[in-house]
Amino acid sequence: VKAYQRFSTVWQMGVAVCAFVLLSLVLESGGLMDWAQRLELGPERTAALPAAATLHRALAPWGFERQRQRGLLALARVGWSDDPVLLAEVHPKPVVAVQPEIAKPIATPQPVEPNPAPLKISRPALQPGIDPPLLSVLPEIAPVQAGKTRTIALVGDSMMAVGLSSTLLREAPKYKDLTLVKAFKSGTGLARPEVFDWQTEYPAMLGSAKPYVVIVAIGANDGQGFVVGKTVYPFGTDGWKDIYKQRVEAFLAMLEANGATVVWLGLPPMKSDVYDERIAEVNRIDYAAVNANPQAIWFSTAGIVGDAKGQFQDFGQVRGQTVRLRQADGIHLSDDGAVPIAVKLLAWLGKQVPKEQTPDANP
Amino acid sequence: MLFPTVEFAVFFLAVLAIAWSLSGHVRTHKVFLLAASYVFYGFWSWRYVPLLFVVSLFAGLIAQAIQLSENDWIRKRLLVFGVVVCLVVLAYYKYTSFLLLSAMGIWGLVGRTPVWNIPAPFLPLGISFFVFHAISLMGDVYRGKLKSRLRLLDALLYVAFFPQLIAGPILRASKFIPQLLKPVDASRIRVNRAFLLILAGLFKKVIISNTLATRLVEPVFATPADFHRGDVLLAIYGYAAEIYCDFSGYTDIATGCAMLLGYHFPRNFNAPYKATDPQEFWQRWHISLSSWLRDYLYIPLGGSRHGTLRTYTNLMLTMLLGGLWHGASWTFVMWGGLQGGYLIVHRLWSQWSAVGRLRNSTWWPWVARVLMFHAVCLGWVFFRSPTFSLAGTVLHQLSSSGVVTLASWPVIVTLVLGIFGQYLSPKLRRGVEATMSRLPMVANGAALALGIFVIEMLGPTGVAPFIYFQF
Repeated sequence: VKAYQRFSTVWQMGVAVCAFVLLSLVLESGGLMDWAQRLELGPERTAALPAAATLHRALAPWGFERQRQRGLLALARVGWSDDPVLLAEVHPKPVVAVQPEIAKPIATPQPVEPNPAPLKISRPALQPGIDPPLLSVLPEIAPVQAGKTRTIALVGDSMMAVGLSSTLLREAPKYKDLTLVKAFKSGTGLARPEVFDWQTEYPAMLGSAKPYVVIVAIGANDGQGFVVGKTVYPFGTDGWKDIYKQRVEAFLAMLEANGATVVWLGLPPMKSDVYDERIAEVNRIDYAAVNANPQAIWFSTAGIVGDAKGQFQDFGQVRGQTVRLRQADGIHLSDDGAVPIAVKLLAWLGKQVPKEQTPDANP
Repeated sequence: MLFPTVEFAVFFLAVLAIAWSLSGHVRTHKVFLLAASYVFYGFWSWRYVPLLFVVSLFAGLIAQAIQLSENDWIRKRLLVFGVVVCLVVLAYYKYTSFLLLSAMGIWGLVGRTPVWNIPAPFLPLGISFFVFHAISLMGDVYRGKLKSRLRLLDALLYVAFFPQLIAGPILRASKFIPQLLKPVDASRIRVNRAFLLILAGLFKKVIISNTLATRLVEPVFATPADFHRGDVLLAIYGYAAEIYCDFSGYTDIATGCAMLLGYHFPRNFNAPYKATDPQEFWQRWHISLSSWLRDYLYIPLGGSRHGTLRTYTNLMLTMLLGGLWHGASWTFVMWGGLQGGYLIVHRLWSQWSAVGRLRNSTWWPWVARVLMFHAVCLGWVFFRSPTFSLAGTVLHQLSSSGVVTLASWPVIVTLVLGIFGQYLSPKLRRGVEATMSRLPMVANGAALALGIFVIEMLGPTGVAPFIYFQF
């Protein structure tokens, strides 16, 4: 037997594995706590969370977690990390004293300017629990100054990250005055801020960009219960709906902070019936919140990628070709499926320019 | 259940403890491993556990019938029936939408393109792998490579054994089932080697593959028109490193886990980018698939036994189907076609007498290595792109000049490690293994824990699924 091929007995392996487990528990107590908190409500979380919390509390005085955080910050400082929150922490934006604005000639480049006051979109009050329409019309919004580059933020979870964002980015160069900023993260949502807090992460993702319009596709991971304090809110209960609506409203308020208009994409129909019902519930709450918000616009996708009744369909015609509209998971949009949505959104954005300007392209 | 997750760590530690405590009871031990494999698969979706069970049970029953029969005619018919049923299952789940789309496209050539909204089924995780295992089981029994009498429990466990279930390697029934016949040897566990494999796999997946994916490959392949030559070239190289580290990382972890449970998996990767020609590349890349395709497709088609033209046809057909196995899309077929083309061109080229002289030179292997690597990279462009149009844009952007924007130092470091890490001498690995073997067992466990801690710190947030899960 060669020197490196040493065989062990079960007992020896047991010793090695026990050493591994014990040291891992010590080193990763913070990571285990994060993991336990992220679990969906259920027996797994019920068992794991108290154990992880006890371990975390017991090891807190040893300072491992502080060292771990220091290590992560050091990695961010040297440019290894791509976590926007860590990067924002180690490279904070300089505080600039607010100067009174001086009017400049239009020809002068004005890269960062406050957005024009958005038009308030008035709508009749909506009864809660109403299904969104299959198709929606995008209204006109506040026009921009001639020559100004418009920043469009793409925000959301994997519904934005997969298919839609790349299609929007590919189609957008036809409109020379649009700059698209990526601010999406797969596996996130609004139901579980303890897992991913958009209120903290979004400003870090955005950096210094000031969006004129924010396009949002989010909610695919929100069909789950959550815990607030010590109260468990199973998905779809009245308490869950109230809290989720508050979170959606707070999210909208954050997105609109710099005067941006929010275009909220209703989630498309899903292939799995059980999942589709959950997403329909999420859509109803989002729709009510968006309708009550004068700076937000609802944009239905069900009538674009769904069938005539807004139900899930695999195939459809895009630009004269029959294509698969959805990914194999029956959840996300395919690149082809995202095209009609992206084209409509960009065409609408293309119209929001002063009359004297000539759009660079018409779709 | 992904390998680099707490869920898998907890699951595996529990399985490891229980499995070894049952090791003296061969049948109970196997029943437990089978149940654990179904739990592992059910963690993704319980809905498809019956499919996995039915496919493996069907293959096991057919294989038993083949083994029992002494009539060659019946044995052959049983094999054909079994293989056809397995392929129909695979085709239904994996290729329905592809076939429908292709049919609609062809119809569109002669009339108005129709939209037939026949719902395509969900793709069960790892179906390509467990169907190929089922076929291998029947094939090995038919060829008499399995000397012992096949038991149904062994057949079920062979197809469903969780370390290889969803992304391989594709085990041979004739190599794995004999391991199930005897009790696992409790005195011959290679702990240091298994720990190193798990660490290496996690490093490749979490650090190299995920970093390259998120910071280089995804941005460029999402909107290639926004990038110029330098970034696009980096992204193509980056994808070559990403897919290698992703898939070989999975294989390393699977092999390490199986080793701790007392089982041996064959080598699936052997520094593929060191290959100097296409034939050598396929002897180094996804070895379990390429040898499966050779034994169960290329050779039954006639291999190289019926003249040059037939050999080339067989090569091309094998690689085209190999491409289609990877994904239900014409871009995968194109990738397979390129591989087939490379193999044919290499065969033609090898016949020239000048080539022999070139091969004997000291510099030619390096030139050949660089050429081969770039030929493989060209294939990866089609493999990674969802459409031909996007692949075309990627290739077109190679001719555009502009600034390089994505060459951050983490990208460069991971790219260099991903490509040139394959040139590290096996002596280095053996040296580390030998050092570990001299350390006390507690130190081995501590080294694994520290290694995983460092990997977790260095890896990007979130764990992307393994690329080969989709196949």
